[in-house]
Amino acid sequence: MSVPVRAWARVLDNRPAARDTHWIELDCPAIAGAARPGQFVMLGTGVQDLAAPFLPRPFSIGTRTADGRLGFLLRVFGDGTRRLAEMGPPESMLVLGPLGRPFRMSGDRPLLCLAGGVGLAPFLFAGAQARLEGLELRIVYGERSGESVFDPDLIRRITGVEPDLRTEDGTVGRRGLVLDHLDLQDAPQLLACGPDPMLRACVDLAARRGLPLQVSVEEHMGCGVGTCQGCVVRSADGEWIKSCTEGPVFDAEELSWQT
Amino acid sequence: MADLSQHLLGTDFQSPVLLASGTCGYGQEYADLIPLDEIGGMVTKAVSREPREGNPPHRVAETPGGMINAIGLQNVGLERFRLEKLPWLRENLRVAQVLINVVGHSAEDYGSVVSGLDGEDGFLGYEINVSCPNVKDGTLFGTDPTALSALVTRLRDLTERPLVVKLTPNVPDISLYARICEESGADGLSAINTFPGMLIDVEGRRPVIGNVSGGVSGPAILPMGVYLTWRAASAVSIPVIGIGGIRSGDDALQYILAGASLVQVGTALFVDPASAVQVQAGIADYMERHGVGRLPEIVGGLTLPEPR
Ligand SMILES: Cc1cc2nc3c(=O)[nH]c(=O)nc-3n(C[C@H](O)[C@H](O)[C@H](O)COP(=O)(O)OP(=O)(O)OC[C@H]3O[C@@H](n4cnc5c(N)ncnc54)[C@H](O)[C@@H]3O)c2cc1C
Ligand SMILES: Cc1cc2nc3c(=O)[nH]c(=O)nc-3n(C[C@H](O)[C@H](O)[C@H](O)COP(=O)(O)O)c2cc1C
Ligand code: FES
Repeated sequence: MSVPVRAWARVLDNRPAARDTHWIELDCPAIAGAARPGQFVMLGTGVQDLAAPFLPRPFSIGTRTADGRLGFLLRVFGDGTRRLAEMGPPESMLVLGPLGRPFRMSGDRPLLCLAGGVGLAPFLFAGAQARLEGLELRIVYGERSGESVFDPDLIRRITGVEPDLRTEDGTVGRRGLVLDHLDLQDAPQLLACGPDPMLRACVDLAARRGLPLQVSVEEHMGCGVGTCQGCVVRSADGEWIKSCTEGPVFDAEELSWQT
Repeated sequence: MADLSQHLLGTDFQSPVLLASGTCGYGQEYADLIPLDEIGGMVTKAVSREPREGNPPHRVAETPGGMINAIGLQNVGLERFRLEKLPWLRENLRVAQVLINVVGHSAEDYGSVVSGLDGEDGFLGYEINVSCPNVKDGTLFGTDPTALSALVTRLRDLTERPLVVKLTPNVPDISLYARICEESGADGLSAINTFPGMLIDVEGRRPVIGNVSGGVSGPAILPMGVYLTWRAASAVSIPVIGIGGIRSGDDALQYILAGASLVQVGTALFVDPASAVQVQAGIADYMERHGVGRLPEIVGGLTLPEPR
């Protein structure tokens, strides 16, 4: 497992990427080198700044470059993300990472990434990594509406694959949800990241079709490194387990999906 | 260099800065990020006789200038703590002092944790948590003078190690509880634990925290912590550990001037694991600027206005 590092990182770039969504790049060589797809970092503004985010917030690593840049797809959700989305050069963010258990990517079966909303972020990294390792990978990416869609050209440039787009209102790509019109003929291994109802639908689908599934879950976090026990999810054997260290990526069978 | 050491609870602390219970796990979790053996010490997550499963999520959320938590004292229980967690502390913390935070539903529960650990090496003593707002009977002992006195008296009979009682802010007069602890044989006091609080998601019209209410911590509670530390320290002659919202040397110095001999850093660690070391550096810097050679010179060194 990679050892987490704490570092102040300069914001190198902040570009609007879709509605309420920013593409942010940080200069973070101490963390970039060790990162694996599916891992995340905590982003914050340090102890001297009491405005939200006071507690750091978790974000999936979207891209990393050889010269130590980390890229994030950040969607404004509440006060903390609004503030982070406003930051640009020459400001710095306090970064803790890389954190958590990554996706396990093997060549046993083709990889099918199921991305709901900013759940796309870890699959940018996964796609780039699959290209390096010569693994077969597809991305199905859904948003509510076309104005929320992250630029498909950029997705192609980062991952080398053409995303299969869905919007609920049909403004871009096919009309429907991520799991509508899925092609599962190649018996893929499923990797899913997105809102809870989508993850539950993925669990049902994987069980019905007998396909392996890894999910990346989201829970409120305090520390991100396993000390506060704030980020728990229910395990299949009924215990509360920490999603920051035992996850955020789990095999679907490791978790309880009862409501 | 300013001398940051403190001699109290029968031992030497190389610095007055400790990590607060529940915010540093069992130490190991922060080993890569905090040079644990370079600070004063740490207090473990609460240990109960039996393992506790804790509360449903969400367990944490940000509040203005801090956070609210309701972990529900999830912990591995006495046996696994002894076998799996204590050995790491014993082997890795050579200079930093370790206090074990103890919780229970009954005086017997507290007693069995203390008796179960007392023969082990690798820690200094106990911080008795009678002040957790996030479990049903969490503040039972901390808000009932008779029960508190009986509990401390009982634990005093079970151990010769330092016994520090962690007080709740949730009482009308903390000096009463401070005195009861001292009279019943406590060696020190920790002030304070979190304040009970609640956060509501107005869109969903639901409490954000799975447990409905939780404990509020962080910079938002600093002035209350300083006040209660001052009240407690003024009432007793045993050392007081000041806790609540500390994120800088100056914050820690407010507690020290109010009468705290040691301090603990909690929530700030989540924001920046380097904050404990920075608090320590800030205290040293202050001492140098003010020509303070040794820390005891300024403990309780607050100048109050003349009564008019
Ligand atoms: C492992 C992981 C990876 C993530 N990756 C991304 C990403 O790549 N891009 C992106 O835009 N978002 C991502 N998120 C979600 C992002 O962390 C939340 O949107 C953000 O924390 C919300 O903060 P806020 O202050 O804007 O929201 P508010 O609702 O104002 O926050 C209130 C509190 O809720 C917590 N909170 C609210 N929603 C979430 C959530 N979904 N996850 C965790 N904590 C939450 C906050 O930490 C805060 O304590 C990820 C979450 C996790 C757990
Ligand atoms: C997530 C979390 C867990 C905590 N768990 C415990 C605990 O197990 N036992 C205890 O005595 N105090 C516990 N506390 C309280 C802290 O030790 C401390 O008293 C309080 O947070 C105030 O300090 P702070 O503002 O620096 O965080 C916890 C606090 C937090 C935020
Ligand atoms: S966020 Fe603190 S333990 Fe996971």
